[in-house]
Amino acid sequence: MEDMLEDTVLVNLRVNGKLHELEIPAHKSLLDLLREDLNMTGTHMGCMTGHCGACTVSIDGRVAKSCITLAATLSRAKITTIEGLTEEDGTLSPIQQAFWDEAGFQCGYCAPGMLMCTAELLESNSDPSDSEIETALAGNLCRCTGYQSLKRAVKAAAVKAKEKAS
Amino acid sequence: MGEQTSETEGYVGRSVRTIEGRGPVMGKATYTNDISFPGQLHAHILRSPHAAANIKSIDTSGAEKVAGVVRVVTGAEAAKYIDPIPHYIDPAVFGGRSATIRCLALDHVWCFGQPVAVVVAEDKRTARYAVSRITVDYEVTTPVIDVEDALKDGAPMVVPGWDANMIMEVPFGSGDVEQAFSSADRVIKTDVKVHRFSTQPIETRTYNGVYDAGTDSITLHGTVQNPHPLRNVLSKILRMPENKIRVHAPVIGGAFGMKMHGHPEEGMVCFLSKLIGQPVKWVEDREECLLIGAREQVHSVELAVTKDGMILGLRDHYLANTGAPSSCPGWGMAFLTGLTMPGPYSVQNVDVQLSAVVTNKPGWNASRGYGKEVTALALELSVDNAARELGIDPVDMRMKNFIKKDQFPYDSPTGLIYDSGDYAGVMQKAMDAIGYDEWKTKQEEALKEGRYIGIGVGFELTPEGGTLPGTLVGGYDSSTVRVAPDGSVRVLTGVTTPGSGNPTGIAQIVADELGVRLDTIEVVQGDTTSCPYGFGNSSGRSTIVGGGSAAKAAVEVREKIIKVAAALMEVDESSVTMKEGVIASGDKIIDLEEVCYACYTRAYDVGSVIEPPLEATAMFKPGLVRHTPNEKGQINPYPSYSNAAYVAISEVDVNTGVVKLLKFSVAHDCGKVINPILVEGQACGAIMFGIGAALAENITFDENGRQLTKSLMDYVMPRIGDVPSITLTHHDSPNPVNYKGLKGAGEAGVGGSAAAIVNSVNNALSPFGVMMTETPLTAPRVWSAIQAAKKAQPQRKVA
Repeated sequence: MEDMLEDTVLVNLRVNGKLHELEIPAHKSLLDLLREDLNMTGTHMGCMTGHCGACTVSIDGRVAKSCITLAATLSRAKITTIEGLTEEDGTLSPIQQAFWDEAGFQCGYCAPGMLMCTAELLESNSDPSDSEIETALAGNLCRCTGYQSLKRAVKAAAVKAKEKAS
Repeated sequence: MGEQTSETEGYVGRSVRTIEGRGPVMGKATYTNDISFPGQLHAHILRSPHAAANIKSIDTSGAEKVAGVVRVVTGAEAAKYIDPIPHYIDPAVFGGRSATIRCLALDHVWCFGQPVAVVVAEDKRTARYAVSRITVDYEVTTPVIDVEDALKDGAPMVVPGWDANMIMEVPFGSGDVEQAFSSADRVIKTDVKVHRFSTQPIETRTYNGVYDAGTDSITLHGTVQNPHPLRNVLSKILRMPENKIRVHAPVIGGAFGMKMHGHPEEGMVCFLSKLIGQPVKWVEDREECLLIGAREQVHSVELAVTKDGMILGLRDHYLANTGAPSSCPGWGMAFLTGLTMPGPYSVQNVDVQLSAVVTNKPGWNASRGYGKEVTALALELSVDNAARELGIDPVDMRMKNFIKKDQFPYDSPTGLIYDSGDYAGVMQKAMDAIGYDEWKTKQEEALKEGRYIGIGVGFELTPEGGTLPGTLVGGYDSSTVRVAPDGSVRVLTGVTTPGSGNPTGIAQIVADELGVRLDTIEVVQGDTTSCPYGFGNSSGRSTIVGGGSAAKAAVEVREKIIKVAAALMEVDESSVTMKEGVIASGDKIIDLEEVCYACYTRAYDVGSVIEPPLEATAMFKPGLVRHTPNEKGQINPYPSYSNAAYVAISEVDVNTGVVKLLKFSVAHDCGKVINPILVEGQACGAIMFGIGAALAENITFDENGRQLTKSLMDYVMPRIGDVPSITLTHHDSPNPVNYKGLKGAGEAGVGGSAAAIVNSVNNALSPFGVMMTETPLTAPRVWSAIQAAKKAQPQRKVA
């Protein structure tokens, strides 16, 4: 019998505010940790090479592609996933609401990346221009929409977020 | 945007947000890969590294020794339990050559990436590792990669036992072609080479087979566009009756044809689950997804024209490189390319011939456009080339040759019956929307500064709602409308959604026809056990036949509700109205729930005027289709002919060959628009496919037929900054035979927009005399074309 003897690593990380302590194989991606160990399937696999962005999460306040991030490197990290955008009482965040209202998505498979990158963009820029939106979403592929509805949704999200803040 | 107000009454015609759109924004939509079961096992497939080889032996012992491996299966073992995969569209039905396709190769592989063995393990990483421990002894043979080589005398046979590398040769057309060509002022030939490109949804294919020993039944949860037809295919592979098989398609992350069935992995996971007695899941890698090809064709279009640009005749003998045989419906795309000739043009003397060639590249599957995008590319590039040769304006040439709007229904020379249209009107709208004439001025000014701006147009005729006789490519569909005792509505349909929004379109239709509020409707799709029989999603059909059948069922249920409401209110039923859930007769108003509850509970008094329950199933079968061949042996598989015109404005950097798109316009005739915001999404998405096709997306092979395109770094799809602002206008000419005049909105766009882009680049580079008719126009190719043109015409003064 041949055994894939693998080192395991103990990590503790905070996902959407909740602390988890896990012993995981050293090779495990953050994507697989979220989906397999925490059963949080909102973050999606599209390519496993970092090109499509469907696996995007926020790590310590910066967006990152979880398929090419080793979970073992993330001890004490604060992770936010798409599930973490919804408020505790189940209310959609202004960004989620805007993307729904504006038909931002079709199939919605790329939603994790688009929403996490929009959240990061609006964090520092309440009124983004077209080119700023293009820069923020440059790492995320969408195959359904031709991106027109996504741009419209980001702009609507900016308005909604401002309304909520004021 | 949300719920917009508009002048139309009811929900149809309004941009309402999708009812299914909440889950995805929360990360709570359930896609196939999000489903796992207790005891879940994972499969990984060993694929051939060779394009053509004989398998001499397979040693699986290394894999079997890996801890966590449950089972290793080769083609020879699988063949004991399962049968070959029936073809989605069997070439034999049309007189072509039909190959036997298996889930796992037996003793011979005919393409790179063909499944040879499969490992099932407790986790996916173990399965992947164990695959690397299988040893296969291949005897590599010489592959054929190019269509020209495949047709040479003495070429190796892709399929052992065939006498030619050919699925079938099909002649299309009629008229007096010889006469047209001999009386023409000019015959202008354009060689159009369309490359291999693919749809690549962000969600790759995923299948999870779950065998239930207690009932000896199988459920396949999968990325499936056509659950009912797949059930029939699985029953043949698995040697089980259809009533023991359930196909369930959860939320799908984009499909565009790729998730139509015939794939080896569908039957494979079901068989493995039955063999092992545990659920078996397979998730496609992006590298595997890129194996699925489409569209690669070589055209040689000859236009017989008068000097003022009238097209008298068209000849095009074209070759399609369909790769190795596959049970998927992809090869049929090559057939549709010819059938749709000569597109929107009023040319009756046509000699088109398809040679559907097999090679040792991986096979095709259906891809948005389904061959009609290649028709558009071949025609539109040829018309531009002819216009340049004749020294006339490319738009004028099109306007001169378009079928006129009073010529519908129009009998095409290939046997199609175009339902309706106003092609010149559509073209004019696309041009007006972008400011075509202003761009001509800007182009001249830019050229003075040494900037090369190009203006290109393209037109695409996209027959929709296709149905082929003797196949499970059905033309009709069915829906059930159920109203519960509390008045809430459930619609179950045989069509499915790849994420395009058709459940909302269908709900809008039902809301209006039934007379209820949109937010009281649920739409259920993608389950062979709960939904009525249907053919799923393909060919822009889902709203046409899903909506049409649901409307008919809704009307039946509405009649029942009104009868009982009239009985309850003690009024004449002709005085009863029902709208947005409000039932009224004059001043009297009655609660919908009260009526529905009475329908179920008072069957022996006021409810006795109807037969409960509040439920109806209806079928919608569009007209105009003709499956009985006419005197020329031609059929018309389509009820509906969507069409669209495209204008692309591009700028070429002549020092690097990089093309940048500045602006895009489309005018679209998809008949009645149910939901503008969703139709816009379809149009813009299809244009993005066209942009990728024209400029970057390309699947390439080495000389031995090994695929070089392995990731999304090699396969370059448009990103947000690559897509310019798109202006969309509608120009509806309703289909005369479909419900509400629907034509289908999903497919048009790929070829027409790609053609407009290519034409715009050629237009930009016309000062150099560049005319590129081979796609894609990658920067190195554009740069090389400029250099070649400069060399060929050193006397021409260029910047």
